[in-house]
This record gives sequence, structure tokens and C-alpha cells, in this order.
Amino acid sequence: MGAAGIVLRDVHKAYFKDRLEIPVLAGLNLEIAPGEFAALMGPSGSGKSTLLHLIGGLDTPTRGSVRVGDSQLESMSESALTAWRSRHVGFIFQMYHLVPVLTAAQNVELPLLLFRMASSERKRRVQTALSIVGLGDRTDHRPNQLSGGQEQRVAIARAIVTDPDVLLADEPTGDLDARTSEEILNLLNALNTEFGKTIVMVTHDPRAAGHAGRTLHLDKGVLDREEVNTRRAATASAS
Amino acid sequence: MTLGYVLLQNLRRNPLRSGLTMVAFALPMAVFVVGISLVLALQQVSKANEAELRLAVQNRIALVNALPERLRREIEALDPDKRRIVAVCGFRWFGGRVPNTKSGIQSLGADPDTFPIVYRELRWTDEEEQSWKRDRRAAVVGSNVAAQYGWNVGDRVTLESTVPPYLSLEFVIVKITDATGRVNGMYLRRDYFEESRAERGFRNPGCNVFWLRCTSIEAMREMQTLIDEHFANSPNETRTMDENAFAASFTEALGNLPGLMQGIALVVVFIVALVAGNTMMMSFRERTRELAVFKAIGFSNRRVFGVVLSESVMLAVVGAAAGILPTAAVLGAIGVRMVGFLPITSLTVSPTAIVIAMCIALSVGVAAGLVPAWQAIRLNTVSALRRVG
Repeated sequence: MGAAGIVLRDVHKAYFKDRLEIPVLAGLNLEIAPGEFAALMGPSGSGKSTLLHLIGGLDTPTRGSVRVGDSQLESMSESALTAWRSRHVGFIFQMYHLVPVLTAAQNVELPLLLFRMASSERKRRVQTALSIVGLGDRTDHRPNQLSGGQEQRVAIARAIVTDPDVLLADEPTGDLDARTSEEILNLLNALNTEFGKTIVMVTHDPRAAGHAGRTLHLDKGVLDREEVNTRRAATASAS
Repeated sequence: MTLGYVLLQNLRRNPLRSGLTMVAFALPMAVFVVGISLVLALQQVSKANEAELRLAVQNRIALVNALPERLRREIEALDPDKRRIVAVCGFRWFGGRVPNTKSGIQSLGADPDTFPIVYRELRWTDEEEQSWKRDRRAAVVGSNVAAQYGWNVGDRVTLESTVPPYLSLEFVIVKITDATGRVNGMYLRRDYFEESRAERGFRNPGCNVFWLRCTSIEAMREMQTLIDEHFANSPNETRTMDENAFAASFTEALGNLPGLMQGIALVVVFIVALVAGNTMMMSFRERTRELAVFKAIGFSNRRVFGVVLSESVMLAVVGAAAGILPTAAVLGAIGVRMVGFLPITSLTVSPTAIVIAMCIALSVGVAAGLVPAWQAIRLNTVSALRRVG
């Protein structure tokens, strides 16, 4: 699949707690180009994760429109969104969320169970995904036999095994040390530059955000400012 | 890899809990199938009894109060042209015991001339019937009793009576029967018994029960009323009933056995459902974030519902099978032959009981998994993912 662009128009999102409306996003407008690597930053409660969930079709806006590729998400039913997610989106979580009783290869294979696919084809895709993340030799290891960085690599392989248009990463390096974080960010960079995936990454870490092409700063539910990462732009143009 | 494999692996997640839950299914289900098999065996005896068109006539006060043996002639005289009664056979309780043993044998003295007619389901050969009528020491033995003591046709055996005058008599086995309901009994000739009693000064020949074989169900009903009316207000008032009612008067000591078993079954199902439900709820709560990830990567509500429900069903069915199959195998191999005084051939686990138990296990599995499966559907993916960071 190719990359998909993301367009949000006047997006509002509010949660209700004890009948009290808590606005999270308040008229957010945003565009992320196909194949772009964007980082979302902002203080806690600024709406970063909510925005990520809206782009991933895990949640729907209270008002406004969310378009990812050719799909207008706010008008899709829950079941349609589920099916859409399985084909177009790969999620990467801070805590990896691997199934502890399955091996690395089996964890990566999980999303493929949703598709009619020959077993040999599934195995090929799993092996490819694990090779891309540099774990081709750890297929039979269970999560408790892997380091944190390796677990996150398996989670990334699980996210890319269906060849989605968009990768959504929620603080993917939040639980890792600096060196391992760097490895994971380089891997995301490679997925963006070499495989053309559109990546949206939530992070609190400015160094992590520096790996993205653009950093979007959210505050109080709106886009406060954005900055282009010149170092990364230079690296990209050099490559 | 398939989703089934993922389910199996999930059961390995907490082997101790999965194992204990399976044991919680296995043990009650084993008890359940044995109980149901017992009820089914008794029902089989009951059906067999119904087919034999027999009536029991006993003293209205109590079975131990023997009726004079002359009553047989009076009963026969109530149907002089034999349109309703085929034959009448008097029985007297002998209550035998093999010398130097403790367990008793349900042994009764029976009128030699009519016993083969009234108990035709014993499937007499001409030779067996002739031997029974020829030899006053003749005895017919149930197959369970014969197997227990290693007796064969032609063996001479000594039996001690457990009722006064506590005779010790020798018998010759002329037939071993495996007829339904007769496998735990032993039948002697009453004339031999009465003569021996008379020698000890007990000159009151009588019967604890007269068994009548009737020609039809209508004839049974008519004779039941007629006999009791005939002996009403006499020194020997009678109580006439069909064979199942007679048998029930013995098992009443145990209460309503089928009802008791059904009650136990209900309690078992309820307890197992609670155990399984609790386990599934714990399992669900522990895996909330994992199920949220499943939904995030594209597992539909239907699939997630299926995953959770299937896990519960698998646990229930595997647990039940782990209890039922070894129980069936062990009972089949060792063959529990003597089941108290219950007239069943042997206690083996019936296939019907296995099917019922597996269906119950399946239902309990579904019931226990429904709530967590429903909660999995309603699980808010975003909230679940947020909750864990």
C-alpha cells in the first residue's frame, strides 16, 4: 500500500465525566502529507493521544471531519472503522502490548489472522516484517525472553506486517533507555523514508520529536505551533 | 497459527488457575455422570418391570407381617376362568448370608410351580425349569451374586437365613440369571424352606408377598382393586400394587432417588458455573489491555466476543472430559456390580449420561463466558489503552 495523507477540519472532541463535559480538542485543523513523519508534542491533557486515536479510527470526533487517505472516518460505523483499521493503520504502543504466551513470530502474525491468506504467505510476511526490524533470528522467542527494545521492535513488526498506509505511535520510546530509543526512532525513520509510511508519533521527548520531519505542538486542544525539523530535513535531502 | 491455537495458548497463561478450574469441572461432572447413569439404570429396570404386568400383594400393615399361604388359592379364585391372572406365586423372605461372610443376599423362597411362569423374563430353558421343579434344593442366582461368590450352575452352596429360625440350608444352583432387576437376588423353593422351618417348630407357612402375573394392564387395574376389596375387613387385609410401586417402597428409604440426583445435578451445574464464571471474569480483567489491543489492530467485536467465549467453552469442555472419560473408563474396567440393594446389573457410565454431561458443560461454558465476552464487546478501546499508559 502507499502512504496516506491526513486531514482534520474543525475537529472537536469532548468527554463526559459525571455529566460534566470535558473538552479535549477544540476546533483542531491539521494536515499531514502522505509519507510524512510528524511528531505530536504538548503538555498532558493537550489532546495528543486523543488526536492519535481519532486518526486511527479508535474514536470519533464530537464534531468536525477526519480524513485519512480516501476514508472519511467520522461517517463510518464502528464495524467499518474496525475493518478499515485492520487494513490501513498500524499501532505502536508505549508498553508494546505483546501477547505473553505467543512467540515473536506469532505476535506479529496476529493481525494477519484477520485476512484470508495462505499459511505460507503469512509466514513470509511475518519473516519479512521481523527482518525489517532486525529480529529475523528471534522468531521463536517469547516476550519475556526479549529486552524492552526488542519487544518494541516486535510490536513495530506487528504494526507493519499488514503493510498499512499509516503508522501511529503513542510514545514508542517512553519506556526505553536513550540508546534503545535511538534505535527505535531510527527504525521508524527507515520505515518512513524507505517504505514511505506516513507516521504520526506522540512523544514528550524533544529528541525523539527531532527524528520527525515536523513537530506539531498542541495546547488546550488546538494546534499551538508547528516546526519543521531542519536537521532531519537536511538528512533526508542528503540521502 | 490459528485463533484456536491462540485460545489454547491463553489457557497456558496461568496453568495453575486453568488446571484448578478444569479440576473444578472434572470432579462434579464425574459425580454427575455416575448419578445420572444410576438414574438411567433404575429407569431401565422400571421400564422392564412395567412390561412384566406383575402385581404385588402384601399385608396392608407391613411387609414383614406374612400372609397365610392359603390366600394364594383365594386370590386365584377371584379369577376362576383365568382371564385376568396368568399365575400367582408366593414369596417368603429368607434373607440369606454365605457362612462366615457379612454381606447379605436378597434371597426369597418362591412357590416352585408358578415361579417360572410369573418370572418368565428369566428366560428359562426346559432343562433349567425341570431342574427347578425336580430338586427341592434348587436355587436361581442373580449374575452379580454368582460373580461375587464365584458360583456356577451345579454348585452346592450353603446359605444361612437371617430371620428366625435362622436355618442353614444347602442349595443346588440350577440357573444363573442376568435378567434386568434380578441380578442381585437369589430365589429358593419355598416348600423346602417351609418344611425346614416346620422341622424347627415354625408351622405357620406364609408369604411376605404374592406376585401375580396378569394378562393386561386393564386386568392389573381390575385385580388390584378386586383383591384389596376382597380382603378388606378380614384378619389379613392386603395392599396390592404394581412392581414399580413395590420397588419404590424400598428406595423410599433413600428418598426420591431420581429427584435427589436431579437436585445434585442442578447444584453441581450452579457451582461449576460460578467457578467458571469467576475464572473467566478474572481472566478477562487481567487481559483488558490485551483485548483492547486486539480491537485496535482490527479484531471486530464479533471476533473478540468469540475469543473470550471460546476460551470459556474450551475450559469447560476439556475440564468435563477430563472428569468424565477417566470415570467411564475406570467404571467400565472394574465394573461396580453390587450397588447396595438397587436392582441394577452394574454401574457403568451410560453414553446418554456422557452426552448430557457434555451438553451441560458446554452450556455452563457458554453461560460463564457470556458476561466477560459481552464486556469485551463493550470494552472502550481508548479508555483501556489509556488506563495502561
